[in-house]
Amino acid sequence: MIVCVAVVGHQNNPLYIQSFTDADDALKLHHIVHCSLDVVDERVNNPKKSGPTLNETFLGLLYPTENYKVYGYLTNTKVKFILVTTDLDVRDADVRNFFRRFHAAYVDAVSNPFHVPGKKITSRTFADRVSTIVKSFGLSSAA
Amino acid sequence: MIGAGKIKQYSNILEKPLSKGKQEVSLSAFAFLFSELVQYNQTQVDNISELERRLEDAGYAVGARVLELLCHRDKGNRRETRLLGILSFVHSTVWKVLFGKVADSLEKGTEHEDEYMISEKDLLVNKFISVPKDMGTFNCGAFVAGIVRGVLDGAGFPAVVTAHFVPMEGLQRPRTTILIKFAEEVLQREARLG
Repeated sequence: MIVCVAVVGHQNNPLYIQSFTDADDALKLHHIVHCSLDVVDERVNNPKKSGPTLNETFLGLLYPTENYKVYGYLTNTKVKFILVTTDLDVRDADVRNFFRRFHAAYVDAVSNPFHVPGKKITSRTFADRVSTIVKSFGLSSAA
Repeated sequence: MIGAGKIKQYSNILEKPLSKGKQEVSLSAFAFLFSELVQYNQTQVDNISELERRLEDAGYAVGARVLELLCHRDKGNRRETRLLGILSFVHSTVWKVLFGKVADSLEKGTEHEDEYMISEKDLLVNKFISVPKDMGTFNCGAFVAGIVRGVLDGAGFPAVVTAHFVPMEGLQRPRTTILIKFAEEVLQREARLG
């Protein structure tokens, strides 16, 4: 079950945060996303010697907290996508697939000439696409 | 169903079904739109440098989006951190997507360490434009300079980019050169990376 997705700009400014459960406190989710940014920076600045190429986009499992898992993805322009989920067994391929589609939706939203880079993403189409992707993520990994 | 159907001949172009569309835009449509852009900006400003600045800002917005788009389409992508890497990316990939061919040449400036030049014999945006004498050194390639600046800025290489005419022997029209001058921090970072 995906709990929250977030898009964070290259100066660590939030561009889009959306939570998908009513139960949890939105503030707590914001806080988790904020903490995960530190982990992203750490990964980017100190690449593991045994890791793959220096400039991978998918960062993988950032850190597990109480009952959440947090995944990260870094694009070329230092825009970060954060995914918070409560699933215990998520396949790596599923998460990569999710981020790929999320990246496509993000690029489409930014290509809008009326979107000001650095401001929050207010496009309703983008929000709808994200909810579709989130819903299909839940179904595919349950199969 | 087996029928003795004939292949439909469309006598009227209006009856042809709409095609999916190619990845190309017609040159005349673009030239028309670009000329309107220049004319519109001309009515709003008083002097040449302001006009160039406006064209460059328009290009900057395009450049930022082109970078996002190209990085997404190019699967298995690596983030460019080196100067030469990002320059060759602009020189080949960006130019290919925008103009259908790679830029003519990429040179390093001899006078200053932080200057690089991308030159093009016949810049697409200038194809149908002739600048009147009283506008001096104005160059509509400022739009392309803005695009390059947008791409470099988004990738983390702040720079000042300008467009110039360079007269060449043996060519009727002068060659257009995009001059890229990187900011101090970029050079320091490059020196640190070795």
